[in-house]
Amino acid sequence: MEGTRTAAVRGITRQRLTVLLLLTPALVVVLLLFTGGLALGIIQSFGYLPAAGLTTFTLDAYRKIFAMPGFVRSAAFTLFVSVCTTMLSVVFGIGTAFALRGRTGRAATFVYQIPLTVPHLVVAVAVMMLVSQSGLTSRVLFQLGLIGEPADFPALLYDPYGVGIILVYVWKQIPFIGLITLSVLQSVGENYEGLSRTLGASRWQTVRHVLIPLLLPAIVPGSIIIFAFVFGSFEVPLLLGKSYPSMLSVLAYRLYIDVDLTMRPEAMATSVLIALFVLALTVLYRFAADLLQRRRL
Amino acid sequence: MKRIWALLLLGGAISVGAWSLGKTEAPPADESARYRAMSWDQITEEAKGQTVYWYMWGGSDAVNGFVQGYVSDRLQEEYGVALKMVPVTDAQVFVNKVLGERLAGKNRNGAVDLMWINGENFRTMREADLLFGPFAGKLPNITFVNTDAPSIAHDFGYPVNGYESPYGSAQMVMIYDSARVPDPPTTIEDLLAWIRAHPQRFTYPAIPDFTGSAFIRHLLYYVGGGYQRFLGPFDQDTFNEVAPELWKLLNGLKPYLWREGRTYPETHAQLQNLFSNGEVYFDMDYNPNIAANLIRQGRYPESTRTFVFNSGTIGNTHYVAIAYNSPHKAAAMVLANLLLDPATQLEKMKPEVWGDLTVLDVPNLPAPWPSRFAAIPRPPSVLPPDVLATHKIPELQAAWLDAIEKGWKEHVLQQ
Amino acid sequence: MTRAAIVLIVVAVTGPALPLVVWSVSHGWWFPSVLPDGFSLRAWNYVFQSDAGVFTALFTSLGIAVAVTLITMLLGVPAGRALGMHSFPGRRAAEFLLLAPIIVPGLAVFMGVHIFFIRIGLVDTALGVIIAQLLPCLPYMTVIMSGVFANYEREAEQQARCLGARSFQVFLHITLPAIMPGIVTGGLFVFLVSWSQYVLTLLVGGGRVITLPLLLFSFAQSGDHAIAAALSLVFVLPAIVVLVVTSRYISGTSPALGGMGRI
Repeated sequence: MEGTRTAAVRGITRQRLTVLLLLTPALVVVLLLFTGGLALGIIQSFGYLPAAGLTTFTLDAYRKIFAMPGFVRSAAFTLFVSVCTTMLSVVFGIGTAFALRGRTGRAATFVYQIPLTVPHLVVAVAVMMLVSQSGLTSRVLFQLGLIGEPADFPALLYDPYGVGIILVYVWKQIPFIGLITLSVLQSVGENYEGLSRTLGASRWQTVRHVLIPLLLPAIVPGSIIIFAFVFGSFEVPLLLGKSYPSMLSVLAYRLYIDVDLTMRPEAMATSVLIALFVLALTVLYRFAADLLQRRRL
Repeated sequence: MKRIWALLLLGGAISVGAWSLGKTEAPPADESARYRAMSWDQITEEAKGQTVYWYMWGGSDAVNGFVQGYVSDRLQEEYGVALKMVPVTDAQVFVNKVLGERLAGKNRNGAVDLMWINGENFRTMREADLLFGPFAGKLPNITFVNTDAPSIAHDFGYPVNGYESPYGSAQMVMIYDSARVPDPPTTIEDLLAWIRAHPQRFTYPAIPDFTGSAFIRHLLYYVGGGYQRFLGPFDQDTFNEVAPELWKLLNGLKPYLWREGRTYPETHAQLQNLFSNGEVYFDMDYNPNIAANLIRQGRYPESTRTFVFNSGTIGNTHYVAIAYNSPHKAAAMVLANLLLDPATQLEKMKPEVWGDLTVLDVPNLPAPWPSRFAAIPRPPSVLPPDVLATHKIPELQAAWLDAIEKGWKEHVLQQ
Repeated sequence: MTRAAIVLIVVAVTGPALPLVVWSVSHGWWFPSVLPDGFSLRAWNYVFQSDAGVFTALFTSLGIAVAVTLITMLLGVPAGRALGMHSFPGRRAAEFLLLAPIIVPGLAVFMGVHIFFIRIGLVDTALGVIIAQLLPCLPYMTVIMSGVFANYEREAEQQARCLGARSFQVFLHITLPAIMPGIVTGGLFVFLVSWSQYVLTLLVGGGRVITLPLLLFSFAQSGDHAIAAALSLVFVLPAIVVLVVTSRYISGTSPALGGMGRI
């Protein structure tokens, strides 16, 4: 009896030790960079930077950025772009997945996956060449006699709605949602769909009442990821966006490289808010994933 | 047991954090005295084998090609110094970098050696004590430069005092497409009339773009009756008197500008794009040779030409400066000196290379340099040097720029 | 209808490559011409010219991406095993911590630790950039590997041990072959994330570590479409190669591949 228990305890301790050894290297890196970065960011956002002579903890930076019209407008603009991108990606992702469903030959799937690997900057450059007012699309329209000069073509870059930025991210994210959809449809989707049709439901009813609910557990977390990613994006808005209002990460960066060091706490405050907002979304993601998982069972 | 680990971890975290953010030692005593005592030969000897990191604007393949080709090769062959060009999109990036290094106490092995710097950034760095110097007087080739000339002795009104070495000269030119504008305006008055007669065909880059800011300064001179009033330190009263007139002019111009002045190209590059596609008929640039470069690259039509206002256009000098914590000060000085060599200046001025104007006092150079400079072929889109020289007006001091930029944002952009 | 949709998808995906190719060889291409007035190899000459630094940037990008991939494999495989195969107190917390950097933007987190990097002398170095890139890359490898290990069968390992094999032999001959597809997927994935990284390289590299995306951004911003297009094509090449390679390892669809949308 005694022997078994000691052996069991030793077994558990050994397991814990193994886990510790396996996890530690990765955890150390993450702790240093991620939690360390956040912590130092938060501290600096409270105005504490002795190296620059700032030694009191204060909430001034937060007060100041909320008072900045630029910050509020940037936040609104960033939310707008993120929401639009997510919605469009989901709608077209699911739509194209349904269209591709029957014909998933190797070639079609391969082409569909291409956007996943193309770097964002390349997409941004291509979008720049295609949809600027003097871009290729505009020129084709001119040749077709639909517009008379570049100014007739709508301004899709450096515009107040971030259309160019949305285009870049939607192009990249449609296959992301699409592949998730296809994966669900091809695994359990076919069975349920077949069953539903046998029972007399129309195509549309099947889609609406059977397939969409089946897709939700995978799509919702995916959309949250897209939203969070676009929310914190930097290089595409830097290239294709207006400078006022800019997206939040660009604003944070500009504040950070300002030669006026007293702006540093504001830069940190902005980036801390971005990080905390997205972290809250991550929590939401886990919560939603768990909830929907439980519902499905 | 667990508690001890947690406490240790926390303690470790706090100390690392405190060390990162905490106060650092003051920088060491200024090294310039040491270099002043050395002879030029000793400096070149010290430079041998060093690598100099030159931080500069990297948006032009012509400039990059000149620096990474001709300059780099000569530096290596003649002095044994390796040149590493570090392109940045904006000078503010490296100002911030040196500032960050000083903040972090990195007073000895800075990343930045030599910098292409101007005006406001020079003033910022001087006032934050981020530059090494004075060093320009030590360079043998500085004798080829007329360092007393006001446009060289002062960088945007701030005295250079040897903390910068000049290496090129710029002057604003207006660029137009002669196929679309056969009869270009020659005065500001005429330009304004042209804009009103041809709505949507003109715009300027939004401040804080360097070129846009320069264009506005020309209008300030025009509205204020000439540049003379604005020379010297910033005067709030003069500004308060003249600025409202300027904003009135700019706001009145809005309906005739591209997109009715509701928005402006964010960067000069965007204005270039508008011009090349015929959306607007004018461009502007600090480099009088730029049109030739862009025609050669196939980015501007062959019919592109340039002009300057009868009342003159603003010219300035570009300089190089050395960071206080550069570990390769000798190499940086050797490079700065090489840039002032007449052969380098000649190469730089060739239209097919860069076309940047020389900063040397050409008439007083030893023979045969004056005739060589005069013999540089000039493409039709580039104005003759004497026309440029006789139409050159000075820059304002940096404080004026701040006021103008702030005022434009408030009174013109946000109206 | 389906055929039309497929044609549309193919056009939408491959279409954007066309303007890039044409721009890269164009000379004098303005509104409203749909084809350039002239052609020239200026942009490609610039790319292949040795002093222009394009090849240096290419090798820097490559070197950093390979280093990051190897390090994440070393760290992520064991971490994935711990998360995927063991349950222990604090597992959820560890999971959250290791995966949060996938979603939280790198810049927002890194701005805080930047000053630490300056103090410790890691800025302006390729090593600093490599370490910084571990932040977005490690979580991906960990996720993929934890998924692989969750479906992993322990029995083979246990049987081998019973037969007298030592841990090292077990790992080499039993574990590794079984998880190899996962490692390759994760590795290629991390490679792409590192290859496309911009803001962290900008912040930590300080302009001294020049990777291909930095160069591309500079030319895209300066309005030189020809060189920007040529650089884009060079930049996108490894991405396509990765896609070709992964589609051999993964037939059909997989959520892991889907995760690449975040690059």
